[in-house]
Amino acid sequence: METYFLKNEDILRFYALVARDYELYVPVKAETKLKVDCDYQFKLPTVDYRVESYPKVDKEKIVFSEYRSFEPIRSFFTRAKEKVADYFDPSADNGTERPLAICGVKNCDLFSLKIQDFVFLGGEEPDPIYKKRRETALIISSDCPSFKEVCFCLAFDIPPHVSEGFDINLSPLDDGYLLDFASEKAKKVAATLKDILVKAESRQLHLRNIRRDAVVKRLKEHLSHHQIPKKEALQEIVVSGLDSPVWKEQMQTCVECGGCVFMCDTCHCFLLSDEPIGTGNQRVRSWDGCLYKNFTRVAGGANPLKMRYMRLRNRYLKKFDFFITNIGFQACCGCGRCIDVCPGKIDIRYILRKLYEEKHLSAH
Amino acid sequence: MKKNIYQPIEAVIEDVRQETAAIKTFVFKPKSPFSFRTGQFIELTVPGFGEAPFTPSSDPAIAEKLEVTIMKAGKVTAVLHNMKKGDVVGIRGPYGKGYPLDKFKGKDILIVGGGVGLAPLRSFLYALFADIDKYNKIILRYGSRTSNDIVYKDIIPEWSKKKKVDIMTTVDMGDPAWKGNVGLVTTILNDLPLDLKKAVGVVCGPPIMMKFVTLKLLELGFKPQDIYLSMEKNMSCGLGKCGHCRLGKFYVCKDGPVFAYEDIKNMHDIWD
Ligand code: SF4
Ligand code: SF4
Ligand code: FES
Repeated sequence: METYFLKNEDILRFYALVARDYELYVPVKAETKLKVDCDYQFKLPTVDYRVESYPKVDKEKIVFSEYRSFEPIRSFFTRAKEKVADYFDPSADNGTERPLAICGVKNCDLFSLKIQDFVFLGGEEPDPIYKKRRETALIISSDCPSFKEVCFCLAFDIPPHVSEGFDINLSPLDDGYLLDFASEKAKKVAATLKDILVKAESRQLHLRNIRRDAVVKRLKEHLSHHQIPKKEALQEIVVSGLDSPVWKEQMQTCVECGGCVFMCDTCHCFLLSDEPIGTGNQRVRSWDGCLYKNFTRVAGGANPLKMRYMRLRNRYLKKFDFFITNIGFQACCGCGRCIDVCPGKIDIRYILRKLYEEKHLSAH
Repeated sequence: MKKNIYQPIEAVIEDVRQETAAIKTFVFKPKSPFSFRTGQFIELTVPGFGEAPFTPSSDPAIAEKLEVTIMKAGKVTAVLHNMKKGDVVGIRGPYGKGYPLDKFKGKDILIVGGGVGLAPLRSFLYALFADIDKYNKIILRYGSRTSNDIVYKDIIPEWSKKKKVDIMTTVDMGDPAWKGNVGLVTTILNDLPLDLKKAVGVVCGPPIMMKFVTLKLLELGFKPQDIYLSMEKNMSCGLGKCGHCRLGKFYVCKDGPVFAYEDIKNMHDIWD
């Protein structure tokens, strides 16, 4: 890995150079209603970030995001709704998209991409659209100097800074950024930036470590208030919690908006449907989610997940049983987007804690 | 050019046979030969309406034509039932693992079908007939609601004439014209002419029927690993990606649709 220092005043040149070869997305601040208040003395930021198209955005508005954007990063690789095929026309292809460069990606997002990769690149046949986007994309991640109330990556041993799975990483210092160039793609970019990059000094690397450790410490303290079970316990508590009262209790306030599954960075379910276009038809892939009533309904009318509580439980079984069995880790990265978005105030941290308590600290 | 996994190939309807009031068998001729292993399924596109999964009912040795027996049950099948010879559909697949024929060598194979569940079993039977020397015995027990709901009425008698084959049918509700057995399919599973030590059971039908047949077979002494079930789930992609068909740690589309009961028996909702 090569690490360089980039001065604050050169960051826009960095973006401009990346944008020459890539369709670049950069973080900007966003006012949203996605707020969960912190009920003790920690003053946690409530601002949100959005990743915007670089050519379209007012350059003054580009910021360094302190934590993940509100939209899931998977939305760059599978769109919420997009054409995936024309009938019977084998030449139909999603055309020539420019390769993506996405800034403001955090370590939780990188963890989620492992799950998306397993689904869309794995199996007998990879998804050609996802594959193309993913292989050509430049992932520009960055450390989290802060976190939101809902962030709980570290509860699952995912630290708020990266170690793998990125192309370029930015770590903020006071007068600029440390840039790690990890991949071949990234090194090509580095070559075009020669005149604005200087080799990082050990003093700067040391400072980065101190800052990273400080965030980890603060996040740990925050998480201690939530008592989230360790990742090693997840499968056991979800599988043994099939009959837990927590499912019904929590689902009383669910309005089936689907927000949790659509904001989730690890959810991947979709539905294929067909629509007429011109004289022919096209096949469309839309994000879908198991919180919806008809997700598992079969043509004859039978539905194994008739009740809302069954669907909630199913979501947890998928994330913490199916995925742990099939890939060895949970399909939850701790980004907390589902907690932010839920109008019913349904909180995954609470549900996991309850399941853990019922299993291990049950009333004697 | 990379293969587009979501794209169907074109197929023309060559013939439509009315099996019962609500069930038709369609004969499709795909633009290019389409081979499948018995028990694998396809995604059938009704242009403009979408897809639905079906297991072909024809002989897997024939790649030029494909037969699918379809009950009118939902939106897509309703449109399909109005389609005629010459109309165009799309086909994607085949998907899934199909029947583990290797494991059936030298066995007494008990096949239990319910209603339109006989469709995949028909393809399975053709695969067995093609290699009949490899198997010891084929016993088919088929149940339908009434005598009007029996599929393959003209074909079943021909199967009965084959060597090593023993067939019995039943209807849940009798009528004056029906001379055969009346009662659920479980009532014709007693005194089966088979050797339990080398028997396997292959079951396909509605979930409730599969549940009771499975319980009956267990009671008769079949081992859970020797009972094979066709699991029905909502499916969309067929590729293990869309997430609709999850069954415990499996996806029915990619790990099934046929499962040994042993592998799924501890799951909490297999019959729902
Ligand atoms: S969950 Fe962790 S990695 Fe993700 S934004 Fe929050 S602090 Fe950063
Ligand atoms: S975000 Fe909340 S209300 Fe909406 S579907 Fe998810 S659990 Fe239900
Ligand atoms: S049908 Fe899509 S995962 Fe099985």
